[in-house]
Amino acid sequence: MKVLFIAGSSFVAVVAQMIAGNSFFIFNFLDLSLILVAYWAIYRHRTQALFVGSTVGLLQDALLGWPLGYNGFGKTIAAFVIGQAAKRFNIEGPWIRFALISAASFLNALSMLLLFLLLQRNVSVIFVGASLMQSIITGGGGVLLFIALDAYKRTHTDKVS
Amino acid sequence: MSVELAPKGRESQGIYVLIFLLLLHLILLSLQIEDPTGAILVKKWVLFAGAPFISLFAGVTRGVGEVWINYVWLHGAREENARLHQAVGRLLLEARSLEQARQENERLRRLLAFKENASLQSIGARVVARAPDFLSRVVYLDRGEADGVRADCAVVTDSGIVGRVILASTHSSQVQLITNADASVGVVIERTGVPGVLRGSGGHMLEIGYIGGTEDVAVGDLVLTSGLDRIYPKGLPVGRVIESARGKTVFREIRVEPAADLLRIDEVLILLGAGAPPP
Repeated sequence: MKVLFIAGSSFVAVVAQMIAGNSFFIFNFLDLSLILVAYWAIYRHRTQALFVGSTVGLLQDALLGWPLGYNGFGKTIAAFVIGQAAKRFNIEGPWIRFALISAASFLNALSMLLLFLLLQRNVSVIFVGASLMQSIITGGGGVLLFIALDAYKRTHTDKVS
Repeated sequence: MSVELAPKGRESQGIYVLIFLLLLHLILLSLQIEDPTGAILVKKWVLFAGAPFISLFAGVTRGVGEVWINYVWLHGAREENARLHQAVGRLLLEARSLEQARQENERLRRLLAFKENASLQSIGARVVARAPDFLSRVVYLDRGEADGVRADCAVVTDSGIVGRVILASTHSSQVQLITNADASVGVVIERTGVPGVLRGSGGHMLEIGYIGGTEDVAVGDLVLTSGLDRIYPKGLPVGRVIESARGKTVFREIRVEPAADLLRIDEVLILLGAGAPPP
C-alpha cells in the first residue's frame, strides 16, 4: 500500500504542477515534486524519501519527454540532503526550512546541469537563472505548505485531546 | 518481532540506497543517450573500461603461448633445424632472383611514371580479442580515438579487406568483419567490371547480391572494392568467386571466399582517411 501511495502521490504532484503551470505562470517555477520529497524526508522516513525522489523524478522525465534519469538523479540527491539536514539540525523554523528546501532545489538543478555536461548535451545559460528563481519560489512555497500542514496537525491533535 | 537496526547501520543503509539509486539513474541515462558519433554511451563506457583488461589478458595469453612455443614445444627441434637449414639455402637463392626481378620492376615503374595512391593514411593495430559468440564476427583492436581511429574506418591486411570500425573508444576499437551478417561492401568483379554489393552471411563465406543473372561472373574471378560505399578505398582485394549460378530471382547467386584469413588475423592496418569525422 505504501508503494502505491508513493507512486500515486508522485504522479499527482507532477501532473498537478504541469496542469497548474499551464494556467498560472508561477507554477512553472514551483517544484511540487521537490516539496513532496522534502515532506517525506522531514516528516516521514529519510530512506523512503530517496525512493520517493527517484520515483517522482523518473515520472517527471517520462511526462516531460526527457531521457529517463535526469530528474530522478537530482531529486534523489535532494532527498538525501534534506534527510541528512533534518537528522542533524533543528529545522522547525520557517527560515531554516526555506533555506534547506531552496538549497535542495538548487542542488537538484546543479546535479542535472552536471549530468548534461557529463553526458555531452548542450546547456543554455538561461537554465542557471531559471534554476535560481525556481529554488527561491519552491523554498517559499514549501515553507507555506509545511506551515499549513503543521497548523492542521496541531488543530487535529487539539481536537482529539 | 521486528529488529531495529543500530543508528549507525541505518545511516549506512541510507548511503547505500543513495549510491544504488544514483548509479541506477546514471546507467538508465547512458542506455538512452548517444554521443555525437551516434554511439550509445554505455557501450562506449564498457569498451573504455574493458579495454585495459582485454589488453592485459591478451598480453598474458600471448606471453604464455610464446613460453610454450619457445621452451616447451621442442619436439623434433634438431631434425627440424637441419631441414630448415636446407630450406633457407634454397630460399636465399630464390630471394636473390626475386630481388633482381623487383629491381627490374622498379625501373619499369619509373619508366611508365606509375603513381601510387599516396593519400591513404594508415596505422597498424593488433587484434586483442574476439567477440565470445562465434557468429557475431566482431574483433577488438588495440587502437582507438587517441590514434585517430573513428567509426567507419576501413580495416585491411596485405591480403585484403577485413572489416570496418563500428565503435571507437579512447584506446581500443570494435571492428565488424565483412563476414558479419550485417556487413556490406560495394564491390566490382575485376575481370568484367560488373558492380555488386557484397554481404556477410554470418559464416565464413560471403555473398554478392544485385548482379543480374545474365552478367558474366565466373568461378575464380577476383572481387575488388568499388569505393562506392565511401568506406573502403577502391581497388582493394575482397576475395575470389567460388560459386556463381543463376538464382531463382533475376539476380545471380554468387559466393565469395574472403581474401584475408579472417579466422587467424592478428595484425591489421586501419585506414584513417575514411570514417566519421571527429567530434
